[in-house]
Amino acid sequence: MFNDSDCQRILEEAMSTTADFAEVYQEVAEVKSVSLLNGQVIRAATGFDSGTGIRLLSGTNSVYVYSSDNDIEVLLKLAREAAAAIKGSDKGKIEALKDLCKTSKATIEIDPMSVPKKDMVDFLRKSADYALSYNPLITQAASGLAATTRTAKIINTRGVNAEDTTKRIRLSVETIATKDNEKQSGRVAPGTMRGYEFINEYPLIDKTRECCETALRMVNAGYAPSAKMPVILGNGFGGVIFHEACGHALEATSVGIKMSYFTDMLGEQIASPIVSARDNALIDGAWGSYGTDDEGNASSDLLLIENGILKNYLIDELGARRMNAKPTGCARRQNYSYAPTSRMSNTYICNGESDPKDIIANTEYGLYCTQMGGGSVDTSTGDFNFAANEAFMIRNGKIAEPVRGATLIGKGQEILKNIDMVGNDLEISAGMCGSVSGGVPVTVGQPTIRVSSILVGGREA
Amino acid sequence: MDIKTAEKFMEKLVKAGTEYGFEECEASFSIDKSMSMDILKGEVASFENSATSTLSFRGLKNGQMGYCSTNILDDSSIDYLLKSAMENCEVLNDEDPQFIYCDENNKNLYFSQVTEAYEKNTYKSFSELGLSLEKAILALNDRIDAVDFLSIACGTGPYLIINSKGLHSFRDTDGISLYAGARVTDSDGSVKSGGHYWVGKDIDDFDMDKFLETFKENLIGKMGARSSKAGSYKTILKREAFQQFFMVFFGNFTATTMQRGLSLLADREGEKIASDAFTLKEVPMYDKALTKIPFDDEGVLTTEKAIIDKGVFATALYDLKSAYKAGKASTGNGFRNGSAVSEMPTNLIVEAGEKSFDELVEEVGEGIILTDLSGLHAGVNAISGDFSLLCEGYLIENGKKGRPVEQITVAGNFYDVIKSIKSVGNDIINVPSGEGEFFTPSVYVGELAISGDDESNQ
Repeated sequence: MFNDSDCQRILEEAMSTTADFAEVYQEVAEVKSVSLLNGQVIRAATGFDSGTGIRLLSGTNSVYVYSSDNDIEVLLKLAREAAAAIKGSDKGKIEALKDLCKTSKATIEIDPMSVPKKDMVDFLRKSADYALSYNPLITQAASGLAATTRTAKIINTRGVNAEDTTKRIRLSVETIATKDNEKQSGRVAPGTMRGYEFINEYPLIDKTRECCETALRMVNAGYAPSAKMPVILGNGFGGVIFHEACGHALEATSVGIKMSYFTDMLGEQIASPIVSARDNALIDGAWGSYGTDDEGNASSDLLLIENGILKNYLIDELGARRMNAKPTGCARRQNYSYAPTSRMSNTYICNGESDPKDIIANTEYGLYCTQMGGGSVDTSTGDFNFAANEAFMIRNGKIAEPVRGATLIGKGQEILKNIDMVGNDLEISAGMCGSVSGGVPVTVGQPTIRVSSILVGGREA
Repeated sequence: MDIKTAEKFMEKLVKAGTEYGFEECEASFSIDKSMSMDILKGEVASFENSATSTLSFRGLKNGQMGYCSTNILDDSSIDYLLKSAMENCEVLNDEDPQFIYCDENNKNLYFSQVTEAYEKNTYKSFSELGLSLEKAILALNDRIDAVDFLSIACGTGPYLIINSKGLHSFRDTDGISLYAGARVTDSDGSVKSGGHYWVGKDIDDFDMDKFLETFKENLIGKMGARSSKAGSYKTILKREAFQQFFMVFFGNFTATTMQRGLSLLADREGEKIASDAFTLKEVPMYDKALTKIPFDDEGVLTTEKAIIDKGVFATALYDLKSAYKAGKASTGNGFRNGSAVSEMPTNLIVEAGEKSFDELVEEVGEGIILTDLSGLHAGVNAISGDFSLLCEGYLIENGKKGRPVEQITVAGNFYDVIKSIKSVGNDIINVPSGEGEFFTPSVYVGELAISGDDESNQ
């Protein structure tokens, strides 16, 4: 792997017909994980994967070939086949390879890969022991640690010669409360590109207790009502609303083919004037960060929305060609088996001016979602949906009874304009985002915000 | 990496594994070969061709099964695989025993379903089909803005398994899939999207007219859609929606989920859990299925069985580990999900009823047809069965399909829904699902709570 002269030969083969651009992406990745259920170690796995992806572009046409076989003859044959499939008129040129640029946004004191699995198991067992003795209604406790390390090398015909290393670790704790036929869970799943010191410092017992409390509250809760109402979205993972309803529609993947409802809207008011948002891949040690994107461009801190005005899209090489713009350093892929495309990194709504307490006090009636589940969006119509894992009714400016089963639905374009209060308690929270180039680690984030009206789909009239 | 090379490596690995101290061990190897093409605006926008392979090793030591995988097949990998798997064994303390399996009468199976038709899948045949289909879609209606995606893909998936007990079996399959979606601007300026898909084994079997007919209904049919007023509606889940809906909760029918206390179906085999009208079978070698599966990823022969028989929960799905714990035999449903094995269904078949789709609609009289469900990974509680989902569909008025609806949610509970099934249609289709396909008609599931915000009374 990572042999420059071999990569050069692949580029030459790829450029032998009418491609105007070619790129070789090579990757080695290693993963190790342990999972516990009710204190038993039920899974311990280790894996190694490596492979090569070769991409050719001619205008906006692309050919992508990849293989887990890194033998140079296999790759040269693939490059030849790709060159035969690319449609174009002009033959591009190959620029001299620049000096290697190595990057990483990982800030590691203790490499998770060097930590014995036994230590990981001992750590996780504390959470299980605590949860299972916390309350008789807590019937299951699951937890896991998964560490991955990936080094990706990208060289292309513009002379790019870059290598980025990510080292991530993610903890998950889930507790389940059972009452009659009802089971409800509480979970946390922090992820980081800091080292194992993050795990050592993590307030595991406090967080396990919070999971238990959430599960117990929700198992005893009644159903959420069905109606349009003001909705307060708690900080941190509440930002999934912005990620789904706005972030995806700002990716060149949909803007570039004019499929997004935010197409051709730079400089226009797309959100309430109190909303600003960024996509920042530069945060050291953050779960969604990277130093060099999967096309070899430097990553960036991109202002997406400023005071409600659309400032930037997330653009990859192919999107740049379609949009007549410059790439913004946001091209990502799950691994070598995906061609890169525009993706989010750490995406969040910036701090506003309201005290979160005042947001609640100023809401006579509504829903307060303290923990969000996942969601999805159709970027052509704007239809989105996401689920609340923990929610409370707000009555007369006070947090009232917990409710379960709430789904929020609406149109992305409308919800951004209906944000009428933004708190000052920004937090970011780890997640996985799935799209055309596979699943990539991202963080979502926001301070506490209020949306004046969202349709809540519950079970009670 | 070809199968022959892998086979030699695996034999060496299994031998080395036994010498290394594993009581039993097993190696499996899979290759994912695929080709795909995206058509956009009259051009082949992208073309992909690939082959990736994974070798997985698992070894048993003191009753614990350690796993490790890699894609590098050389001598250094043997050390890596054995050492890592042994380390994993050492931290495990699973109370339930695991097994490496070999049925003496079925230890050398060879089953390839790759047909000569696979050779027809080329850049040329895909681009010709894709480009003519895009043109035909745009010609359906002048309000269609664009075909946002049109993707054709084919692939093969050989799987080889060798273990220290003497198992040495191989299976392979192939298939083609086509997905297309487009956007249409409604008279009020709002945008609607819709699409359709096709799966098959021979590109010549693709029926363009039939495809376009459904495509048109799924897209143009949505024009004029708006929300509906909240209330309790008699509901038909259209066949694709029923498949999506059922599969979200399918994990509850697997023994491991039950044994972990995460399924409300635990200890209920033999009980009535659904309406008399509902029968669900698993037929691994179903003659109409694109993928027939003779043995699972643990080398156990698959079997035909009813999972729900006229409303009675006949059997859960078992792999070797969960079967042992329950004192039963594996049902041949142990499939690899990443590194570890868990129970997955092969081909599932909902037994058709008497009525056509139109007759189901007539039976409902006044109600709703749900055609698309969104947010299935978020808006459900897979354990309790509670769901609240964004959906689209059509009203049913006077026994006929009425106006399209959108921006509504449907809420209820899975276990209540399967109990309240009134009628099953006969409009069966196959949707890729699990390890095989799901064959289902549309199903009238009784009344469900719909929330929407339509002010008018229409």
